[in-house]
Amino acid sequence: MKTLLRWSLWLWISLCICGAFLYAPLAEGFVGQSSRILFFHVPMAWGAFVAFITAGVYAILYLKRRRPEDDRRSEAAVQIGLLFCVLATITGALWARVMWGAYWNWDPRQASIVIVLVFYAAYLVLRDAVEDPETEARLASVYAVLGLIVAPFFFFVLPRIVQFTLHPDSVINDRGSVDMESRMLQVLLAGAIGFTALFFWILRLQTRLAALEGRRRHRGLLS
Amino acid sequence: MIWLRQALAVLAKDWRTELRTRHALHTIALFAVTTLVTVSLALGPAGVSSAERTTTLPVILWIILLFAAAAGLPRSFVAEEEGHTADALRLSALPSAIFAGKAAFSIGLLWGLELLLTPLFLAMMDLPVGAPAALVLILLLGALGLAVASVLVAAMVAQARSRGALFPVLAFPLLLPLLMMAVELTRGAVVGGLDLNVLQQLVLYDASLTVGGLMLFPVIWNP
Amino acid sequence: MPPHESCERPVRPSGTRYTSAVSPPLLIFRDLVHGFGGLPVLRGVSGRVATGELLLVRGANGSGKSTLVRCLAGLLRPQSGEIELQVDGQLHDSEARRQRIGWVGPGLAFYESLTAEENLGFHARLRGIEPDHGLALLRDLGVPAHRAAGALSSGMLQRLRWSFALQHRPPVLLLDEPFQNLDAAGEEAVQALLSAHLERGSLAVVASPIQLGLSTDRVLDLTDISAHSAAGERASGEATSDGTGS
Repeated sequence: MKTLLRWSLWLWISLCICGAFLYAPLAEGFVGQSSRILFFHVPMAWGAFVAFITAGVYAILYLKRRRPEDDRRSEAAVQIGLLFCVLATITGALWARVMWGAYWNWDPRQASIVIVLVFYAAYLVLRDAVEDPETEARLASVYAVLGLIVAPFFFFVLPRIVQFTLHPDSVINDRGSVDMESRMLQVLLAGAIGFTALFFWILRLQTRLAALEGRRRHRGLLS
Repeated sequence: MIWLRQALAVLAKDWRTELRTRHALHTIALFAVTTLVTVSLALGPAGVSSAERTTTLPVILWIILLFAAAAGLPRSFVAEEEGHTADALRLSALPSAIFAGKAAFSIGLLWGLELLLTPLFLAMMDLPVGAPAALVLILLLGALGLAVASVLVAAMVAQARSRGALFPVLAFPLLLPLLMMAVELTRGAVVGGLDLNVLQQLVLYDASLTVGGLMLFPVIWNP
Repeated sequence: MPPHESCERPVRPSGTRYTSAVSPPLLIFRDLVHGFGGLPVLRGVSGRVATGELLLVRGANGSGKSTLVRCLAGLLRPQSGEIELQVDGQLHDSEARRQRIGWVGPGLAFYESLTAEENLGFHARLRGIEPDHGLALLRDLGVPAHRAAGALSSGMLQRLRWSFALQHRPPVLLLDEPFQNLDAAGEEAVQALLSAHLERGSLAVVASPIQLGLSTDRVLDLTDISAHSAAGERASGEATSDGTGS
């Protein structure tokens, strides 16, 4: 069953990649083939979003039940979320170079993502700075929950303060309608689903790895 | 009401120890004034070009406030842990009341700092303010969020190993939205306006941090 | 369980009554386990103290006496195990437990820039009690009330700790090395206070590496427990070397 799931995930992602290059048409008003990066950029940003929400949820669970595995899941989710976030930033910057002529121009979306990166990097620094494992888990969980509290301000307030944006409309825009060619939309949604599944698969692996490492450290201290 | 009495007792105790030792008062005030003089000297007699004054100078004001807070505010919690007085406090008082008392103390310190620094800043930078009442309101509300976030982070940092560097690492990502809102509002106030939309968001930010803090602080404080 | 009635009070003649000990307190802890960074310190410690009783916790340095007392006080969360405190026929969670505890320990400190009196007064305000009893304790124990806590000698500091622990007349006393740094007169004075509290129905847990000149109702030897559980681990085939516990 597990093997089957793993293979279907592999197949799904492969189909998404092929679809992005072969099936989906080019978007209007984009330079050259540059719109194809969208099929990776958006799902990765979405994956990071899912990861940080997951981290927050497991942090709340840890604070309620105080089970070390909840904290391990929360930490793993942050690590993977940071990876997705960095990839989304890089793909975004590459695209910005092609379309806007510069890798970085402090577009509100770029500002938001940088704050998110800094925030969760600080989360990892906090974990390093605490010695006692129980205190580490407790404080890190609090910080992850604080992330949930201030995240709306990162995403909704900042873009409004920096008034202008060149960033294309989100998939679902203000008008509540979907303005996209249907084949593009299919590939994009498939990519989002694929990356979400990929995230949860890596999360499982990373959590198991962390548990094994923790057990080895524990045994090392005892002997 | 037990809660209020305990919060007031913590506030009164902090003021009394502060007036005897003057740790935070001296640090914050001197830090702010020294930084102001440094910035002013570095800008030279010409100062900021008149076209950019209203956009640049509010940034400098808030950066000085932020760094002065980072220099002086963590003290109140770190001293409790380092002096081992935290355990007695844990036995005697409710965690949320301790949070409220400490936050009130920090708000008082910051308001005092703003009272000292802002007139000095406006005079040295020769910056006329179009809407002084709006500026006062912004300073009061900004200090509120700054103090609440600082108390939360200070309580976390007090339990960690590398305390000095950790505070800004954890606090600044949390405070970035506040900083951007406050700067935006201050720019408006200098020109003579008040953007009610942003003001509303600043109030919302203060409120969500305060409520989040009241809920999360017991978890930080109690082992 | 010995019945507790107000019998004669050797040291404190003022007619003080407990605010909360309407029905006698009872403290039970089961299978407490705690460790620091993966190193086990407490391995399944259990015990029970009823009203008027004194439990002496013995053990070598590093056997976990302070850790046990801090767990009971709610200042440490044990990794597993249960702690139950019944006062007035009610069970209390760790937050409520803290309010009903008088704690003396080497880790208890005061604000150095405040006087002994101000320190006690601050905690009295937090607890919502009058400062008189704390002041009377300071006077009886001979602590200079108007001296800054940072300028007290270590013996006086220990007497201040006792005043802090007793000023709210707690039904539970948790005393970690309570006689350290005290001179003969000081030790006699605090022992009299302790007996008075026990006679009025409090219960006490005293942790000390040395034998005390106190009548104890129960003894818990942590050295025995860690030796016992180390043997158990070897028996169960866990590959650990011999130097466990200390």
